[in-house]
Amino acid sequence: MTNLAMWARLKSPWVIHFNSGACNGCDIEIVALLTPKYDVERFGIKLEPSPRHADVLLVTGAVTKQCTERLKRIYEQMPQPKFVVAIGACACSGGVFQGTYGVEGGVDKAIPVTAYIPGCPPRPEALIDGVVKLLNALKAPPAPPAPPAPAKEKAQPAEQLEVEVKEALIEAKANAKQ
Amino acid sequence: MQNSKADILAVLECKLQGKPVQIQSGLGKASVIANGGTHRDVLKTLLEADEKTAVSAISGIDLGTNLGVYYHIRTANDIITIKAEVPKDNPKLASIIDLLPGAAFHEMEVMDLVGVVFEGNPNRGHFVLPETWPEGIYPLRKDVNANEVKLNPEPPEVKSEGKLVKIIVGPQHPALLEPEKFAVMVEGEIVRAVEPRIGYVHRGIEKASESRTYIQDIYLVERICGICNTCHAAAFVETVEKILKTEVPARAKYLRTILLEVNRLHSHLLTLGHAGLEIGYESLFQYFWRDREPIMDITEILTGNRVLNSSLTVGGVRRDLKETDVPKIRLVLADLRKKLPFYTEVYENEPSIRMRMQNVGTLKREDALKLCVVGPVARGSGVDTDVRKDEPYEAYGEIPFKVITQTEGDTWARMNVRMREVEESINIVEYALDHLPSGAYRVKTPRVVPAGEAVNRVEAPRGELFYYIRSNGTAMPERVKVRTPTFANIPAFLHTAIGESIADVPPNFVSLDPCFSCTDR
Repeated sequence: MTNLAMWARLKSPWVIHFNSGACNGCDIEIVALLTPKYDVERFGIKLEPSPRHADVLLVTGAVTKQCTERLKRIYEQMPQPKFVVAIGACACSGGVFQGTYGVEGGVDKAIPVTAYIPGCPPRPEALIDGVVKLLNALKAPPAPPAPPAPAKEKAQPAEQLEVEVKEALIEAKANAKQ
Repeated sequence: MQNSKADILAVLECKLQGKPVQIQSGLGKASVIANGGTHRDVLKTLLEADEKTAVSAISGIDLGTNLGVYYHIRTANDIITIKAEVPKDNPKLASIIDLLPGAAFHEMEVMDLVGVVFEGNPNRGHFVLPETWPEGIYPLRKDVNANEVKLNPEPPEVKSEGKLVKIIVGPQHPALLEPEKFAVMVEGEIVRAVEPRIGYVHRGIEKASESRTYIQDIYLVERICGICNTCHAAAFVETVEKILKTEVPARAKYLRTILLEVNRLHSHLLTLGHAGLEIGYESLFQYFWRDREPIMDITEILTGNRVLNSSLTVGGVRRDLKETDVPKIRLVLADLRKKLPFYTEVYENEPSIRMRMQNVGTLKREDALKLCVVGPVARGSGVDTDVRKDEPYEAYGEIPFKVITQTEGDTWARMNVRMREVEESINIVEYALDHLPSGAYRVKTPRVVPAGEAVNRVEAPRGELFYYIRSNGTAMPERVKVRTPTFANIPAFLHTAIGESIADVPPNFVSLDPCFSCTDR
């Protein structure tokens, strides 16, 4: 079961894109990734509209004060295991907007980040390279980033769920015999 | 009726005799000082003299004991600034939204950022600042250190409306590439009201530019919008050059024109494709974006980067065009020109496009004038406004091109204006390559800019982009005001969406070519 999930995750990561205060430079390069010249769908990478279906969150732009809470909420809605990629100089550190009154800072000020892709904006080739590096890192997974705040409903890891289901089945059989 | 520049001033002088107003030429343009509520009289006079009178922007400036409210009013071929001042301890001024409803957003922004109260404008509360921003603190006042502001822990509660159903679009939404919230009130399928909440991308660039040098500011203002970045850089450096009274070499003017038009090509192709995506016509989206990639390659040839190119600087451009690159650029343009008849046919006659776009979001000509819309939105409603023709900058005065207009005013007309402008842009770039003058491509300019002020306009892909800069004799500007075309065009959507089906909201909205990083700054 775990192998199957990992296989699916590596072969077809579903990504969601959120702009937390970007200038659109990185965003149009992400869209360019999905169009014929770069076409990342051939690697199985699919842009998903809902955070509840996504494995990877692509964040562009410095995190503005108005967006901080929204970004956290989108992150919390994603199922475990989840990965965050900060795209562009602003998402990595705040970039040119560091220190302005509307900006909190880089993405890691709000949520844990798995991979950083610098550039202003990063070229589509750099984005592909970043995602491939992330996928390679997943093959030998380090500990996934700790969730930022204790979420109200803690998502159960698939493995644990499997064990629980097995136990419940055994119990049910035992009950049936009696 | 169109009046020349001198006529407008003569009319103003004649009509305003006996009123406490004063006409002066500063800013490289005419400005009128109108205190004590007379700003409305000046505006009324202008409106009577010229039907194309509209608000380009309202700048709020902290002048020490007073707050300055500068109304930048555009007429058919000029821009006039009406300057009013109000005391800081009682900053009240009569609103002009009854004369020009399009001024509502501009006033709301000045209320939020500078703290001037416009009496007669019913909107209160935060417009671009976060909901948790404390009341009574205005970041663009000089005595406020905006970095030390403590945000409220909880945003105020929002009351629910009566029987209308509120559909919230955003801040994260599949149809929006950027975060912004629109609360659409529907009764059944019909939209009854749209409440915008902008400010999700508000980074405070206007304030940040006051603490950076003019050269650093070029990189900052480019990042107001990554899509039309060249236009922002052009508008900024031209304004600074006006204060410096620098004459840019002819070759630099042509190179800038080429860069600006290549920027428009990529932006228009992007939008034309994106509109296809919004109506579920994904193959059209993929086609347009496939043919947009060679344009990105041209940008890379010209500047060294695909998107943000930082190629313009005060006094010229930073990089010359190599002779060996010209054939490559011509090849791409010739190839795109060959494909245009197919795309034009699709946008004009394809049944699914006609069904989804015709008679959707119709903006009448008189409404377009009242709401002060700009660019392809105005031109789609039959208002032939184009800064490139009205007040030529760079090399546009020497290059022949047509201003494209449509009379229908609907979503279909706005998209077709863009479609036909693609061809004009190709013509302009080819003409500029043919007539490229030789010589220097930049001149040296001083880092310190003398005290002064200037306004400037540039026709960005989305419409008139307005800059106002006030310098104080140092290496950093005192105030930079940016009014982006997308900010001016949102009222058109709020006006036309009402009474239409909720399913028509996405094509209508995308036909304005929305860009929220521009809108919020």
